[in-house]
Amino acid sequence: MLNDIFNIMLPNMALGFFIILLLVLSMILPLKFYKYARLISVIGISSAIILLSSVQTEPQYFGFHNSVMSDSYTLLFDFMVLVCGFLVSILSKNLIKTVKRNAYTFHALLLTAVLGAMNIVSANDFLTLFISLEVLGFSTYFLIMVSKGYLSKEAGFKYLITSAVSTGIFLFGVSYMYGICGSLNFNTIYEYISERNYSIIYSVSAIMIILGLISKLAILPFANWIIDVYKGTDSSVLAFLSTIPKLALFGIVCRLLVFPLSNCFELTFVIALLSILTGFWANTFGIRENNVKVILGCSSAANASYALLTASLVSVYNLSTVIFYLICYVFMNLGAFAFLNMYGDKNSMEVSSFKGIYHKNHGLVGAYAICILGLAGIPVTAGFIAKIYLFTAIANSGLVFIPFLIVLLLLTVVALYYYLKILLPLFEKCDKNTDIITLRPLFSQKFVLTVSAILILLLGIFPEKIIELCKFIAYNI
Amino acid sequence: MDILLSIPFLVFLPMAISIIILSPLFTSNEIIIRRFTKSVCGFHFLYSLFMLLFFNSANPYESQISFFGLDWVQSLGIKFGFQIDNISMILVVLTSFIFFIASISSKFNIRKNHKFYYSMLLLLMSAILGIFTSNDMFLFFLFWELEMIPAYFLIGTNWGNNLTLEDEENAKKSAVKFVLYTFLGSMFMLLGILLLHYYSFISSGLLSAKFSDIVLNDIPHKIQLFITVCLLIGFGVKLPIVPLHTWLPDAHTNAVTPISMVLAGILLKTGGYGIYKFNYSTMPEAFNMVTPVLAILAIINIIYIAFVTYAQKDIKRIVAYSSISNMGLVLLGLCTVNHIGLSASVFHMVSHGLVTCGLFMIAGIVYLRYKNRDINTLGGIASQMPRLYGFAVLIVLASIGVPFFAPFISEILTIIGALNSDFSEVVKYAGILALPLLIMSSCYMLKFLHNGFFGKSSVENVNDISIHEFVVLGSILAGLLLFGLCPNTILSIIG
Repeated sequence: MLNDIFNIMLPNMALGFFIILLLVLSMILPLKFYKYARLISVIGISSAIILLSSVQTEPQYFGFHNSVMSDSYTLLFDFMVLVCGFLVSILSKNLIKTVKRNAYTFHALLLTAVLGAMNIVSANDFLTLFISLEVLGFSTYFLIMVSKGYLSKEAGFKYLITSAVSTGIFLFGVSYMYGICGSLNFNTIYEYISERNYSIIYSVSAIMIILGLISKLAILPFANWIIDVYKGTDSSVLAFLSTIPKLALFGIVCRLLVFPLSNCFELTFVIALLSILTGFWANTFGIRENNVKVILGCSSAANASYALLTASLVSVYNLSTVIFYLICYVFMNLGAFAFLNMYGDKNSMEVSSFKGIYHKNHGLVGAYAICILGLAGIPVTAGFIAKIYLFTAIANSGLVFIPFLIVLLLLTVVALYYYLKILLPLFEKCDKNTDIITLRPLFSQKFVLTVSAILILLLGIFPEKIIELCKFIAYNI
Repeated sequence: MDILLSIPFLVFLPMAISIIILSPLFTSNEIIIRRFTKSVCGFHFLYSLFMLLFFNSANPYESQISFFGLDWVQSLGIKFGFQIDNISMILVVLTSFIFFIASISSKFNIRKNHKFYYSMLLLLMSAILGIFTSNDMFLFFLFWELEMIPAYFLIGTNWGNNLTLEDEENAKKSAVKFVLYTFLGSMFMLLGILLLHYYSFISSGLLSAKFSDIVLNDIPHKIQLFITVCLLIGFGVKLPIVPLHTWLPDAHTNAVTPISMVLAGILLKTGGYGIYKFNYSTMPEAFNMVTPVLAILAIINIIYIAFVTYAQKDIKRIVAYSSISNMGLVLLGLCTVNHIGLSASVFHMVSHGLVTCGLFMIAGIVYLRYKNRDINTLGGIASQMPRLYGFAVLIVLASIGVPFFAPFISEILTIIGALNSDFSEVVKYAGILALPLLIMSSCYMLKFLHNGFFGKSSVENVNDISIHEFVVLGSILAGLLLFGLCPNTILSIIG
């Protein structure tokens, strides 16, 4: 037991310690110390990143009676989740200024969500998975509600309802799985299924489990929440919402598809179909929208659907492409939301109100443009390599999937239209009468935006090392 | 010699200069930027001529020109490799020449944002050179996509030359249209490239996207045909082939003069080069199967668009539509699948590149002086600008295929090539049908000359062409005469 703690739980323990510290401090410190909340949460996440080095990964480590596992795959996802958590928490300065009273609670919840996301990836048991899912889900719900105003309350409530329904479906599937295999442990389920011919009930339960999980990726039928939630949420929380839950859920869905649920062929077609429909829905919705946050929400749903389609055609090569795609995608989104944070959530998020900002801030708008062009998959950015890599994976999966690939390629053209819609007003020339919004960038926002833009360019020009890493991890799963 | 003649230097020099110009440390003085760009383009042109001098056309891959092959993304077999063959050598020289004259003619057309304009111009140059020289399918695709960004800004931005707000809005709209069309085409192209890459990997076991490494043995015929059609849609947007052409007149008309010159002069040729590189030389079997259909499309291009051109009123639109019509001839040359047709096609790329540059230059000069592009209200230019009139007559004569000018050679060669086509009867008939082009093009071009230049002018005190414009038109005319009188200069390089 103690051994397990030292081998795989140290980063989680550190996060837990800082969560308790933040909660205690929120009760005893006076209001004027609200600024230190961000500092403490940054220290907490940094210490967790440092402690990741203590995690046993070679070859695979199972702890707590096989309910938690760690290998290089979970380590990579934990690392990415922590890095995102770090960048999100330093972005939160403007938000906690408006909600001083909740500053400590906000950061405690952020760390809780990060903890939940880390545990989701390393779960080896449906019970652990369920608990971590709820830890992530509930803290996300409160994070969305933190900012003031009616819209954020509505957003949080919608998110809650959707997660509740999807969790119900997930649990239903898990209960069937227990009924078939008599266990909740992934290893036992895999052994049980591979020894016998699987029944239709097994596929139904697998489909329900995956359906329950992918609702947080905004895949149809649970995709509608994305519009209201993205419209009403603060941009620093959106930087969280569009990265950390995505990473965690992709981590577990890919692993479930490879390891315990790999025998289920119906699952592939159901997921592939749902992701194509989602891509279609999100992109056609995106071109009609005028709110930048909602457009980015649609883009995140669309991007998730491309990656999920590739993940559903289970193979090691596809898995490595999905991991690379996620790494690139996360930084593009962080950069984009860092810019929106700089722009200010109080200002109108209509596309037209971004007019002419380029002429006052060349560098920052340039970096933002790199992030958006990366999402669109234009060369020299990481998005280009990631898209090509992803599409090769689908093309290599067989002729049956070529129609899917054609639809995807056409959808990226549709997507380019709304990315241009976001970008073009920034570069427009204005007359002297119109007011151009001036950016008042904080150091933290500039830091996140610059780091993302530089990483996107670096990954676009020298992708080889990271692709090798992704391949190594995918082969070792 | 290896170091001196390096292709990556040729391709990335403009990109490096464009980054230097865009950097905040560089001066924003208009004259310095323009002269700097001009001298870079001039040096680039000389450098490409120097390369041509050392180019061994009989054995292009063993010339002393260095190849550059680095592994870029090993997991996909993408190499950072460049190579020049006979046809790309010609197009590289043409590219650097057209960018040189475009940078000269920018003087009167660009009124603001000089820094951004010249850096985007050089970036576009780099991307186009990359398309012509890359040796790897994915690298080709990368440059193909990269070219969209500078082209968007060059078409859509207001460079201080737009008269009304409506013009500005139109320019923006047509730039978006250009980007979406190109992106749509390039996505089909990507599909083709991915399938080609995958099946070639299956047949040869070699993970490589180099053109020379592609093995087609084991690819079923249906799939080869599918790949060919996908690639043709991609190139057909650029070339353009008829149903995919609607972006072109808008983009060419709304862009400023130097950009119209670049777009019509060289950007369209990337489509033709793509068909040559992918379909003609890499997948000849499947290409042979589609040539009858393509030849019919080429005829539609030539004749239908010629009628459309005749109906136009805007002088820039006339030139833009006429270049679609001429591109049909390039396509027909490629469809013949014989050596005469291929040479004719490349020859026509060069001659049409020069002619259309000249015509856009004339239209731009007229528009600058008269603020008017409507052919029905223009008039009397001949009496007010005799020197421009002289150039206009000669270039219009060249464009309708009068002997001694380059287009004459290429049009005749195309038709000879089509009649010699062994593979299909359709191409032969297409060759016969292409003859009316000569008549139709003289109809609309002479209308352009007659309505625009004769009669009475409503504007007074117009200056004749300046020394810059004289140099541009003069060098274009010199090129047309040179290739028209000694066609062997180009034909011997093609081999």
